[in-house]
Amino acid sequence: MATLTGTLEDASATTGRAGAGRIRRRRKRLPLWHLLWLVVGALYFFVPIYSLVQFSMEGGAHGLAWFHWYRYIFDQPEFRTTFWLSIQISLETVAVGVVLMVPTVFWVHLRLPRFRPAMELIAVLPFVVPPIVLIVGIIAFLHPLTWLIGRPEVLALIYVVFALPFLFRSLDAGMRAIDLKTLTEAAESLGASTFRTLVTVILPNLRAAIIGGALLTVAIAMGEYTVASLLGFNTFPIYIYQTGEALAYPAAALSVISFLLTWGAMLALFLLGGRSRTAAQPVLAK
Amino acid sequence: MTTVELRGLHRRFGDVVALEHLDLSIASGEFISMLGPSGCGKTTALRIVAGFEWPDSGEVLIDGRNVIDLPANRRNMGMVFQAYSLFPNMTAQKNVEFGMRIRGQSGDKRAKRARELLELVGLGAAMDRYPRQLSGGQQQRVALARSLAIEPGVLLLDEPLSALDAKVRVQLRDEVRRIQLQLGITTLYVTHDQEEALSVSDRVAVMSNGRVEQIGTPAEIYGHPKTAFVAAFVGTMNQLEATVVSASDKTVSCMGFNMTVHESRFDYAVGDTLKVFVRPENLRVQPLANGDVPAAGSFAGRTTSFTFLGPVTRVGLNTDLGSMIADVSSALALNLTPGAPVAIELLPGSVHTLTD
Repeated sequence: MATLTGTLEDASATTGRAGAGRIRRRRKRLPLWHLLWLVVGALYFFVPIYSLVQFSMEGGAHGLAWFHWYRYIFDQPEFRTTFWLSIQISLETVAVGVVLMVPTVFWVHLRLPRFRPAMELIAVLPFVVPPIVLIVGIIAFLHPLTWLIGRPEVLALIYVVFALPFLFRSLDAGMRAIDLKTLTEAAESLGASTFRTLVTVILPNLRAAIIGGALLTVAIAMGEYTVASLLGFNTFPIYIYQTGEALAYPAAALSVISFLLTWGAMLALFLLGGRSRTAAQPVLAK
Repeated sequence: MTTVELRGLHRRFGDVVALEHLDLSIASGEFISMLGPSGCGKTTALRIVAGFEWPDSGEVLIDGRNVIDLPANRRNMGMVFQAYSLFPNMTAQKNVEFGMRIRGQSGDKRAKRARELLELVGLGAAMDRYPRQLSGGQQQRVALARSLAIEPGVLLLDEPLSALDAKVRVQLRDEVRRIQLQLGITTLYVTHDQEEALSVSDRVAVMSNGRVEQIGTPAEIYGHPKTAFVAAFVGTMNQLEATVVSASDKTVSCMGFNMTVHESRFDYAVGDTLKVFVRPENLRVQPLANGDVPAAGSFAGRTTSFTFLGPVTRVGLNTDLGSMIADVSSALALNLTPGAPVAIELLPGSVHTLTD
């Protein structure tokens, strides 16, 4: 009996591109109840903020300038010292976090992809473990390092743990968006060491992911209250709380300033993320 | 000039044997393709040569020196990948300069060489473009220029054209060959596309299950497949089961039809059964009037299907010897009617058997 063997050449090799369809999309009208929920949702978010802003400007009603309480806040030496302390801690947190996490995530992606699920699990731990438990643990851990406990740098080390989920997610998404393996192998085949590959090829392509993760880290470090309070540091959030206990109007103004800072950071993140089309978009997890 | 020798490369992934004691020698300036279906081990072999993977045992000799312990970044091999591998943050020129920058070459020298290489691959005008501004074919050209910039001893190409569309693929493969000949660089090319492998290589190594099934010139591989796998994988073959009628004349018979096997080696005795192979383009098909008997040296059949492939039409046949396919010039295929009787003749010297 005769049989046929062999592969038939692929005759349909040309790649037809579907013509730019002239499908007209009918504009759907938004049903009324959708609109209603939208309005309710918007009110839920914006009414408290509006109230806060209005309250912070109550000075006008008392015969003072509209921005009286803002000026009052900016004139407080405590505001400046606590604000700068928090900024300093934030930057330290970002530095430690990035230096720790970029090579780690890079390595896990490249050489130990099997450990990615474990890494993901570790990264969500700060969410799962209540902050107070975390702090008790950290204090016990730091106990022998008495010289460190009194220094504000200790807060940065702790905030790195809090920022872990955000840094990891952002970097993870960034590294998945580029063909990490091929880029690394291409650089190595051209003679680059792993370190040089990381610095000259991988890092520039992770810019948006790193900025995204860093800004979220700043937002966390600028707003963290519990740990700072328990360890007795006078950071910006502590100052907001203390002001709020005694002075309602300046506290409202402070909260607005704090809001604007966070929004500013988010806007920067949005703009930077949108500008670099080649790099990965950061994950806004919060 | 550089020679490459793979000696007894063996690699397992769990229960799967990716490479089974693979041996392969590449002469200086030679272009060798490793051809095979996915999972045959061709990419693993290439990646071991590049230094991205390690064998369980075996050696990779470059100019007689075993490089298996050298990391990839010290092997000085140019590599073009299947996936687009240009650095997105650098222009075409900066991409090409990357390897030279690592070697500490001066800016002027780098820029001059990058321009030369981009012109060599036909992209002299695209030096300042970023990868996202280049088409897939252009990106692979830049990747080729980049891999050549380090003046590598060996050029490794891992299915570099498989992501491109058909026309660009043909164009670029010819250019790869032109550049390779111009530079005389020893090249190892991995592909699953037989047409690609046959058209550009000095020799083709057909691989299956981690072993080289056959290595030879494209004409040898196509014309004289040694194993059933090669016969089935490279091109299309009609396979017939036949009985030896005369060993001295190398004559075999299939359903009473006698054919002469065109093979210098023929280790069969009268009465042995064997498989013989005929390429579809070696069948001459002619219409046969109803009731007529085919002339001597041909056999009868009926057409069953027609597939238009451009210059030729692939005709399915139900013949006295079994079902077969024939590639008939499309102009001549117009004379054939579906289901009508035909006379089929085998061109002289077209009947082969496996020699392994």
